[in-house]
Amino acid sequence: MGEHSECGFGLRRALQSTGSKRRQQQQTGSSAGVSSQAGTDSGMQSPIIRVKKKTSSETRLIDVVHVRPIKLAETGFSKETLDWRTVEMVVVGACGGKYQVVAEGMPPFLLLEMLEGPTDCSAQMVDISLCVKRPSWLVDRKRMRMASNSQWLLLTAVLLYLTNQVNSQKKSTPHDLKCVTNNLKVWDCSWRALFGAGRAASYEVCIEKRSRTCYLLEKNTTIPPLLPGHYEITVHPLYEFGSSKSKFILNEKNISLIPETPEILNLSADFSTSTLHLKWNDKGSVFPHYSNVIWEIKVLHKKNMEIVKLVTYSTTLNGRDTIHHWNWTSDMPLECAIHYVGIRCYIDDPQFSGHKEWSDWSLLKNISLPPDSQTKVFPQDKVILAGSDITVCCVTQEKVLSAQIGSTHCPLIHLDGENVAIRIRNISASASSGTNVVFSVEDNIFGTVVFAGYPPDIPQKLNCETYDLKEIICTWNTGRPTSLEGPRSTSYTLFESFSGKYVRFNGDEVSANENYQLFFQILSNQEIHNFTLNAQNLLGQTESTLLVNITEKVHPRIPTSLKAKDINSTAVILSWHLPGNFTKVKLLCQIEINKTNSEHELRNVTMRGVESSNYLTTVDKLNPYTIYTFRIRCSTDPFWKWSKWSNEKQCLTTEAIPSKGPDIWREWSSDGRNLIIYWKPLPINEAYGKILSYNVSYSSDEETKSLSEIPDTQHRAELQLDKNDYIISVVAKNSAGSSPPSKIASMEIPNDDLKIEQALGMGNRILLTWNYDPNMTCDYVIKWCNSSQSGPCLMDWKKVPPNSTETVIESDQFRPGVRYNFSVYGCRNQGYQLLRSVIGYVEELAPAVAPNFTVEDTSADSILVKWEEIPVEELRGFLRGYLFYFEKGERDTSKIMGLEPGRFDTKVKNITDISQKTLRIADLQGKTSYHLVLRAYTGGGMGPERSMFVVTKENSEGLIIAILIPVAVAVIIGVVTSILCYRKREWIKETFYPDIPNPENCKALQFQKSVCEGNSALKTLEMNPCTPNNVEVLETRSVALKIEDTEIISPVAERPEDRSDAEPENHVVVSYCPPVIEEELANPGAEGGGASQVIYIDVQSMYQPQAKPEGELDSDPVGGAGYKPQMHLPVTSTVDDLDADDDLDKTAGYRPQANVNTWNLVSPDSPRSTDSNSEIVSFGSPCSINSRQFLIPPKDEDSPKSSGGGWSFTNFFQNKPND
Amino acid sequence: MENTRPPVTGRERPRDGERQCAVIAPFCLLPLLLPPLSLGAPMSTAESVNQAYNLALDMQRHTSTLLQTYLQHQGSPFSDPDFSIPELSLRTLPPTDMPFEMWHGLEDGVRLSLTQEAFWSFSQHLLLAIADQSDLSPDNSMVENQLWEARLKAKGLAGNLAGIMTALGLPTPQPNTLLGPVPLGDTAFQKKCRGYVIIRDYSFWTDRAVTFLGELKAKYSQ
Repeated sequence: MGEHSECGFGLRRALQSTGSKRRQQQQTGSSAGVSSQAGTDSGMQSPIIRVKKKTSSETRLIDVVHVRPIKLAETGFSKETLDWRTVEMVVVGACGGKYQVVAEGMPPFLLLEMLEGPTDCSAQMVDISLCVKRPSWLVDRKRMRMASNSQWLLLTAVLLYLTNQVNSQKKSTPHDLKCVTNNLKVWDCSWRALFGAGRAASYEVCIEKRSRTCYLLEKNTTIPPLLPGHYEITVHPLYEFGSSKSKFILNEKNISLIPETPEILNLSADFSTSTLHLKWNDKGSVFPHYSNVIWEIKVLHKKNMEIVKLVTYSTTLNGRDTIHHWNWTSDMPLECAIHYVGIRCYIDDPQFSGHKEWSDWSLLKNISLPPDSQTKVFPQDKVILAGSDITVCCVTQEKVLSAQIGSTHCPLIHLDGENVAIRIRNISASASSGTNVVFSVEDNIFGTVVFAGYPPDIPQKLNCETYDLKEIICTWNTGRPTSLEGPRSTSYTLFESFSGKYVRFNGDEVSANENYQLFFQILSNQEIHNFTLNAQNLLGQTESTLLVNITEKVHPRIPTSLKAKDINSTAVILSWHLPGNFTKVKLLCQIEINKTNSEHELRNVTMRGVESSNYLTTVDKLNPYTIYTFRIRCSTDPFWKWSKWSNEKQCLTTEAIPSKGPDIWREWSSDGRNLIIYWKPLPINEAYGKILSYNVSYSSDEETKSLSEIPDTQHRAELQLDKNDYIISVVAKNSAGSSPPSKIASMEIPNDDLKIEQALGMGNRILLTWNYDPNMTCDYVIKWCNSSQSGPCLMDWKKVPPNSTETVIESDQFRPGVRYNFSVYGCRNQGYQLLRSVIGYVEELAPAVAPNFTVEDTSADSILVKWEEIPVEELRGFLRGYLFYFEKGERDTSKIMGLEPGRFDTKVKNITDISQKTLRIADLQGKTSYHLVLRAYTGGGMGPERSMFVVTKENSEGLIIAILIPVAVAVIIGVVTSILCYRKREWIKETFYPDIPNPENCKALQFQKSVCEGNSALKTLEMNPCTPNNVEVLETRSVALKIEDTEIISPVAERPEDRSDAEPENHVVVSYCPPVIEEELANPGAEGGGASQVIYIDVQSMYQPQAKPEGELDSDPVGGAGYKPQMHLPVTSTVDDLDADDDLDKTAGYRPQANVNTWNLVSPDSPRSTDSNSEIVSFGSPCSINSRQFLIPPKDEDSPKSSGGGWSFTNFFQNKPND
Repeated sequence: MENTRPPVTGRERPRDGERQCAVIAPFCLLPLLLPPLSLGAPMSTAESVNQAYNLALDMQRHTSTLLQTYLQHQGSPFSDPDFSIPELSLRTLPPTDMPFEMWHGLEDGVRLSLTQEAFWSFSQHLLLAIADQSDLSPDNSMVENQLWEARLKAKGLAGNLAGIMTALGLPTPQPNTLLGPVPLGDTAFQKKCRGYVIIRDYSFWTDRAVTFLGELKAKYSQ
């Protein structure tokens, strides 16, 4: 085994010293073009290694070894890089000579392997350890083989010698007969025998089935093919000592069919389409009969020979040498990397029952890159189907940094060297300028443009027709856009199969509506055309076909030069030009006749086509003196399409005499003397021309007169007629002549039985009916007018045939809410009789105003209301009645609230008798305000309301009772009171009004008149020289108050006289100044003095001096001075200027009441102050509870309490008698 | 290889009404753009310079729009913002690599001559770009119209400059020198690049012409 290891080692060592890259390139370069470089099979076929012994005359197979391939999982290599590492095999019986080792399913370099077998055949078997590596190492292996050969041979020889020696005693009997064939013509059989049999070993081989055939052969030989069945093969070595025969049973099933290795004749490439073209010979001539052949072709690329394609391809062998072609389009442009192709075959001969095997792979052939090109990116300007995948590569010496399609960056696929590729999947349709693919190197970009689009859609709506039977125009739609433009856009070819002619679309004839169109010249006498429209672009082609009879697809052009010429008043001739060659077809033309204010009329005319293309036709049955507008369009028979309408042509027909007389009516003027004839202008369709004038004539039994020609602008004439019955006749004249006369009688046939009826219309129309009258022979006339207008009542009239009994009067002049009078006349012998008189409205409206109403009479419980009629103009409809509302209500409230009939307290009266003009409303309340509302209504609705407020009269009895009862009660009370007062008068007087003695009557108190003048006669009131006694009351002391109180509660009846008498000692003569001289002091506020002055006066003197200032003072000075001055009270002790201070305590008589604060103040100008009525002498008496009034502080003038508003109850009581 | 291109003049035939208008419109300007020497009344040098200056100014106003429109219609990456390949050049185009100082240092006559030749060359190259665009996307009349306009103005400016040279007594170059083969025309991508370089360099020369004619205008208006 050491030798075996040596071998293996030797080889392995040689292989491990891998050759340099340069040498590899040299090797490659030497086999440029179609090289015979061997490739590595990465297929997982089970390799077979055959060892053949080669002698000078023959080559015998001595062993076949099936080698277990190394599984992928064991190697850890990818499929592409899988290498056969070591193949070990044992060759039994190898001895001497040369051995050829043939490996199948392995790189073919092993075919070259020749081993020198050991000359010593003692060794019966030899182990061969083969190291199989990539073909790049082949060179090294070859080189090394020369060096190691002698060593290897030496070892092998030793091994074989030893083996031979060991087995020298064994007989050299052939065994292991094996046969193969590669063409079924000969079988190549071999068997094993012991080594060392000598160089010229020969065998007798006999084949025996039914007969026996013997051959003298070398060890390894060929025999003719045997028929199916078992054969006994006897191999007998000749010239061998001690050898023996060997017998084998041979059957075709034991034979292996291994075809010869095919050979590639040619490999070429189309770089523009990235297509490889492979050509080889099947060498079918060496095969005896037809067989199926399966070819397996592999395509590898890049320098590391990655398989990119492995396909099978079936053919048949037909006994001749046949050249086969195989094309393959690469996904990747062929410029991107070097590509290799290899081929092998498998003959599937159904008649051969033996084992069939694949042939060896042919020598690989490659495609060398095209000569150096500027372009660095492949493919360029490629047009591909949108949605497909494409590989773009960049062949460059620079490092590519990035690649992008459009704006999308793509991952780089590295190829040999710096070359890179990108794979674009599902590319979207390009814009018109294509999709850019750009590779960026450091300072430049390389790129290409890919045009992704679609194959042309089937041409849609293909339609072929002709305008003129000279040229066919075919139009179509392209369908889906292809996204390919310019040189890549779709080309269209229109092919006509009968004539074999075609036209090409060159892109210029795109019509306005985006339709494509092509023109095809019609050949004479060809009507049926079979068109095929072919659409083609770089991605595919489609077509659409159409079979047409072109005479049925005539779409004439627009007729031109339309002319119209009048022949007479009812016919014109039309002529026009229609371009085209229509001599073989019939033309169908349509004339549109338009008349003003009339629906258009269509007339069809048929005519034969003419050479000149000018056509004319007569249009008759026209109206005279009418403007007609003609236009025409044409088609052919059978109908396909109308041409467009020609331009319009106007024509006026000539005049004819008017067809009838004008529509006439007559009315008597308002004074009844003149007859006015009215007529209506003839409508244009009856006038038949321009009316120039009217002739009016009237005739009676006696005479006939006519008016001179009345111009056509005038449509009435006034005739002065006598009482005779005249027939008036009106004739219209135009240039062609006069119309038939229209006649009417001047007098009206009377009708006694006539009443006015009412009618209502709708919209602007009103329906009138009458009874059929067989006497009315001419016609009926309905005339109408606005009833409110003055003058002859005629707005319009309408004639209806004599057999009608109703008509609808329609006028734009009718207005809603206006009353019209309609008169229906019947005609009898040109005389008219009024049959009905109708008033009507086309539409009723609500009254425009409310009826005026007044209250005629009111009582305590009723109101009589009277109203006026509404004028017709304001009524605006037929009056249906009045509505009267009333309710209690004042003017203010009711106005605000309004008056609603639905309110609970509103009463409504509906007056439907329209002749009623008054209404009495009863059951009202007296002296109550009522709100009255009146409104009228018509069929058009409620009119406005007019309201009024009325107060009913008072109920007088109740009022009287209401007054009398309180008066009576008051009188009774008064009487009773009077009686009571009278009965109790004494008591009352005692109680309320005790007698107070009049101080005037008291002699003692009589003062001299000239008190101040120092009359000595009055001793008791002798007075010192009169100085004004001024008492200033500053403040009242409590002590003084007490004294005062005691004074006050002293018996009321105590009289001054008593007091003076009882307390004479206390009597103090007080200097007193009568008020008369103190007049100025009575108004101290006017003086504005700072000092307060209090003037004490008694009750009487308070009034007296003022009541009688002048008279009494002068006449009776003594009597008027009956007054006893009141005493100065110690209350005023603070007064400095009083002379009689010492006597104050003893003073008796009246004195001012103590509490100054409680004084009721009397202003100096109060009535009391000026009143001098002597009847009030009791006032201020000591018994009076009001006696405190007696003091009038001068200061009170300034006090707010002194204001005039300070009247107290007591004042009132005091003043009462004065009132 | 450039000779295989269809003759440029073939594209001058309008394809439809719209293009006809678009193509004819610039020709209406032709009398204004033609060199003044062909007209009867001789124009003063100042007027000629002024006219040329105004034309160059007008061209300068439109160059950026032209370049933008052109790139926009070539698709990404041409239409990407900031697209630029400064390394890309066309040897038949007037050179743009002369430093400004050197250019500025040249005599007016030399600069006039160089500018005149440059714009004559650009008028030829722009015609080439029009043909390329027509091949690439024939329906895109917008780019073609703008190229037509630029081409016409370039031709007009060359004529104006020749007029100035005549007025100054300088030898006028032969204007009808035809363009030889222009590289970068084999593939669609190269055509796109070629158009880009032509318009880019045209823009450069327009700027240069405006500056130069501005100087001349100042010089001769005094």
